[in-house]
This record gives sequence, structure tokens and C-alpha cells, in this order.
Amino acid sequence: MTDTGELTFRRVHAAEPELLFDCMTQPQHLTHFWGPTGTTTPLDGIVVDLRPGGAFETTMVNEGDGSSYTMRATYVEVERPHRLVWIEPESRGGMKTTVTFHSLGDGRTEVVTHQTNVPAAFRAAEAQAGFKTSLDRFAAYLERITP
Amino acid sequence: MPTDELSLVFGALADPTRRAILERLARGDATVNQLAEPFAMSQQAVSKHIKVLENARLVQRTRAAQARPCVLDTVRLDAAAGWIAEHRQVWADRYDRLDEHLATLRPRKEAR
Repeated sequence: MTDTGELTFRRVHAAEPELLFDCMTQPQHLTHFWGPTGTTTPLDGIVVDLRPGGAFETTMVNEGDGSSYTMRATYVEVERPHRLVWIEPESRGGMKTTVTFHSLGDGRTEVVTHQTNVPAAFRAAEAQAGFKTSLDRFAAYLERITP
Repeated sequence: MPTDELSLVFGALADPTRRAILERLARGDATVNQLAEPFAMSQQAVSKHIKVLENARLVQRTRAAQARPCVLDTVRLDAAAGWIAEHRQVWADRYDRLDEHLATLRPRKEAR
């Protein structure tokens, strides 16, 4: 089930891996950037139990109407400062997010966010039959066939 | 779009033969016979794949002629592409704000 439906996102930041890892795992940092545009993630809505099996929860509040959305995840791997893995068992049908931090050696770090099991259908029997797909490939394919 | 529909779309797309069928239909309508041609499989097997695509509403069978050609239905495809774009945007924005946050941390660190 490792490569059924995946998304990869790469970004280079001007910071060392240690700081970036801390930003992604400490509530006082997360509150500044977590949650989609138009939402805020208040400090008191963030739960981080930084160990394999520990909880990672964030409650994002819509700035427009005050509605909130809670993401509930469980950490699977915690290896400061290189690797962080969590799974969202409910909200995305087992979507697994792997964030890796690669030092570029010049004070910059490439952060690669890799998500698998996107979305729920990939846990179905069909997916287990060995179907492989890459959402990136799908996205490229869509660009080709849609006007 | 509800997750269930999205799941149907991604499930249907999770097969290279079905993606190839969609690519063929993107170039123009085709009958099951025509669709079966490039594949080393029976017309029956191809029909099954088309059923999955129909079920996900990525393909429509027209009722005009007896041949009932298959037609690409792009509404769901657009919705699925939209989901991916939206999902990417969330991470892009998140990392933009992380950059901003890092910028606020820097002066404090240098002051030490």
C-alpha cells in the first residue's frame, strides 16, 4: 500500500534542519503558519505528543465565520531533525504524511512533504489489488487532456 | 465535492488501462471496439474498465447510435484536479507562512 496515490511537495527554506523540525513540531511555532489561508490555528488547539504513537492535533479556525476544523493525526516516526511521519486515521482515510528535512549545507534546508493513501478510496479492495498511481502523474495527465 | 465521489474518481484512475482509455477519449469519442484495439485484452475486459469509468462519471455512453460511443465526461476530472490543486495550495501557503515565521525568528537569534 505504499505507493497508492501520492502527492509530493518540495520547498527550500533558509534555515537549518533542526529549526525547521522544531517549527513543524512545536505548538508555539505551528500556531504561526499551520492551517490553510483564511484560518488561524490557536495555540490552545494544538496537541503535540512528540513520540511514535503520540498525538498530533490541530484545530484550525475559519477567520470568516468562526467555524473550526480539527485534524487528528498520530505520529509514526519522530527522528529529529531528519524525518517526521504522521497518519490521519479518520479525516483522510489513513493518509500518511512524511516530512523529510535535507540540509543543503549552506544554511538552507529542502523540506520534502510526501503524502500517500490520498484519499480514502486507496484503502479499498481495489487499491489492495495492486493498483499503482501517482497523483503527480495524474495531475500532469490532467494538464494534457483538459483544455 | 464529497469525498466519496472523489474516491470513485481516484479509484477509477488508479489503473493504467483506464487512464489510457481516458487519454484515447480525450482525442475523440470512440466505441468499445475502437477502445479495445490498442489493448491486449478482450472486449469484455475493456467493457469492465469502461463500467468503472462510467460509475465514476468520467465517461458517458451516448445513446445516439447503436454503436453507443464513449464520451469523456470532464466535470469530475476537473473536480479531482481542483482537489489536488487545493491540497497543494494548502501546503504552499503553509510553507510561505513558515518562511515569514522564520524571518521573524532571525533577528531575535542574531541579537543574542
